[in-house]
Amino acid sequence: MSRKRLFFLMALLTLLALVLAACPAPAAPTAPAQEQEAAAPAEEAAEPLAEFKVGLVTDVGRINDRSFNQSAWEGVLLGAEQLGLPEDNVKYIETVDSKDYADNIQQFIDAGYDVIVTVGFALGDATVEAAKANPGVYFIGVDQFQAEALPNVAGLIFHEDQAGFLAGVLAAHLSETDIIAAVLGTDLVPPVVAFKEGYENGARYIKPDITTISTYHPGGLDVAFTDPEWGAATARQALDQGADVIFGAGGITGNGALQEVAAAAQAGQRVYCIGVDTDQWYTLPAAQPCLVSSAMKLITPAVADLIGMAFQGEFPGGNYYGEVGLAPFHDFEDDVPQEVKDQLQEIKQGLLEGTIDTGYNP
Amino acid sequence: MRPHRVWKATAIVGWVLALALVALAILVNTTALGERTWLRVLFGVSALNFTLRAAIPLILGAMSGILCERSGIINIGIEGMMLAGAFAAFVAKTNTNDWPLTTSLLFSTLVAVGIGGIMGLLHATFSIRFRMDQIISGTVIIILAAGISAYLFDRDAVAEGKFAPIAIPLLSQIPVIGPVLFAKPLLTYLALILVALLHVGLFYTRWGLRTRAVGEHPRAADTVGIPVNRYRYMNTTLGGMVAGLAGGYLVLEAVGQFQEGMTAGRGFISLAAMIFGNWNPFGAMGASVLFGYTQALQNELLLAGVKTVPRHFISMLPYLVTIVVVSGFVGRVRPPAAEGKVYETEGGE
Repeated sequence: MSRKRLFFLMALLTLLALVLAACPAPAAPTAPAQEQEAAAPAEEAAEPLAEFKVGLVTDVGRINDRSFNQSAWEGVLLGAEQLGLPEDNVKYIETVDSKDYADNIQQFIDAGYDVIVTVGFALGDATVEAAKANPGVYFIGVDQFQAEALPNVAGLIFHEDQAGFLAGVLAAHLSETDIIAAVLGTDLVPPVVAFKEGYENGARYIKPDITTISTYHPGGLDVAFTDPEWGAATARQALDQGADVIFGAGGITGNGALQEVAAAAQAGQRVYCIGVDTDQWYTLPAAQPCLVSSAMKLITPAVADLIGMAFQGEFPGGNYYGEVGLAPFHDFEDDVPQEVKDQLQEIKQGLLEGTIDTGYNP
Repeated sequence: MRPHRVWKATAIVGWVLALALVALAILVNTTALGERTWLRVLFGVSALNFTLRAAIPLILGAMSGILCERSGIINIGIEGMMLAGAFAAFVAKTNTNDWPLTTSLLFSTLVAVGIGGIMGLLHATFSIRFRMDQIISGTVIIILAAGISAYLFDRDAVAEGKFAPIAIPLLSQIPVIGPVLFAKPLLTYLALILVALLHVGLFYTRWGLRTRAVGEHPRAADTVGIPVNRYRYMNTTLGGMVAGLAGGYLVLEAVGQFQEGMTAGRGFISLAAMIFGNWNPFGAMGASVLFGYTQALQNELLLAGVKTVPRHFISMLPYLVTIVVVSGFVGRVRPPAAEGKVYETEGGE
């Protein structure tokens, strides 16, 4: 009779299904072999250098996520290179489950690390707690706003509204229909709101009557950044309504929008898209047919600088603003006239000096 | 001749309503009526495009459900088959990025359909060969697909390119209807053709008659010599293939990438569409389009910057309509009589 076999097979399959469902992606525990060997260590600081160690804890996800984790890790490597740290002195831990934030940070503390970089808004609480318990360790919290300043925590944050403003200026210049759009994550996350407000005000700075159609994902935090289908459909909707420049700001949701615009560009439509956070020319090659630039948060140099300051004992506690800017135009270099490039440079300067206001006041 | 005479009146009302809406849509998009924001939100080309786009995976899912359930196998695992198809399409696409785009996309579509078929066959084997409870078997399929795809998903892999729209000459020049229906990528056409095919197949061919007989009264079908379980195997596998195609649509046409759990409950919504459509291909399509339209409306309102209604109420719209529709109308439909029941030949084994 096959009944017994059936139960066995079923039990086995169910078990397999459960086990597989529970299995997270395998974490790569070893640091990727870094090609550029720690360049000629500075002789005079040889002793403390050998002792100085930097660890990084990722948000849930991989170190090479082509996004925040990767940018921050590249910042650690750059900082180590600038200081001439031995290769073994920098390590990372990939967080697999959000319950492990504190444990992962603790691992570095127990191993005697001097600087610990934690990546992402979600690690904010765990970082502050660890910092209070370990005043001798420096913490760099990427994207973590510090409500109260601790001397050993630097919350690396950005003026997203300025990056958005520059993107808006560029979009207004590129648009022929005078309709531009933004496909965004959720307004529950303040940086996304800053990007949007900056973008719209930047566009109006150039063309006061421009129509901006921007929309946030209607869902909650759990889906807003991981719904490429909605992003793509919404981008198509914006194109149908005449938009010819679309800013995609919302993780994978935004990427879906960029790819939809890329498909339209490939089909011969004159449309552009603008990416977010990193230079998405490299992080999302599928968007290259339309990707004119990206509104970047320059995480890598800021992390490197902070590590350098920690080493020299000039660590800035509290909030530390990193630089923002537009990514290179790559293939669209000729689509952006020189006067626009000059103007973007001027406006960036104006934003930095405070002579131009993005109009975003949280 | 045609089954479900009661349903026929509803179908006529549905068609009339649909035609009226299409006429209104044409007016809004071509005349001065389009200057009214509200009408544009309700009937603009972008709303209609969004509707179809959101409806296609639901339509395919519902067709998958109809194929299985008309032959008496409950398929609650559409969600899993879709996800398996989506993942298979993604893996195939990322491994054939260096092929010519169209070849690579078509190959990936075939892989998605094939993997969907295998999931369907698995469901059929559980349900028929091993006489397992079909609800549980379907659940196993869902968990299996979710687990395997999440475990094997390579987050660094990038699929390059997706199906581009193909404008059909002349037809695509018709105002409103042209851009909405006749300038779409390949799989959208395929899905719409499939609905008509399935309708004709179910109600006008020998295969369809036998399938329905097997689903309504397997004993009678067996008595006249129809191989009941062979039909069930065949239909469930076909259903799996269609669900796989729905997954392929998501990856290869709608998005261009894979995402863990990207089917996001579409398999279940398509089950609701199938039930609301009374296990009829065109009915299920209508229901899918209605569900798609509510999503479009939600987004149109958001894009139009409507501030009079809080955003969160607008976000509720698709769910609200689904609940109203399903609770209000679902009492009038009737599933195939032998659905979910194991069929054993007398004195079998």
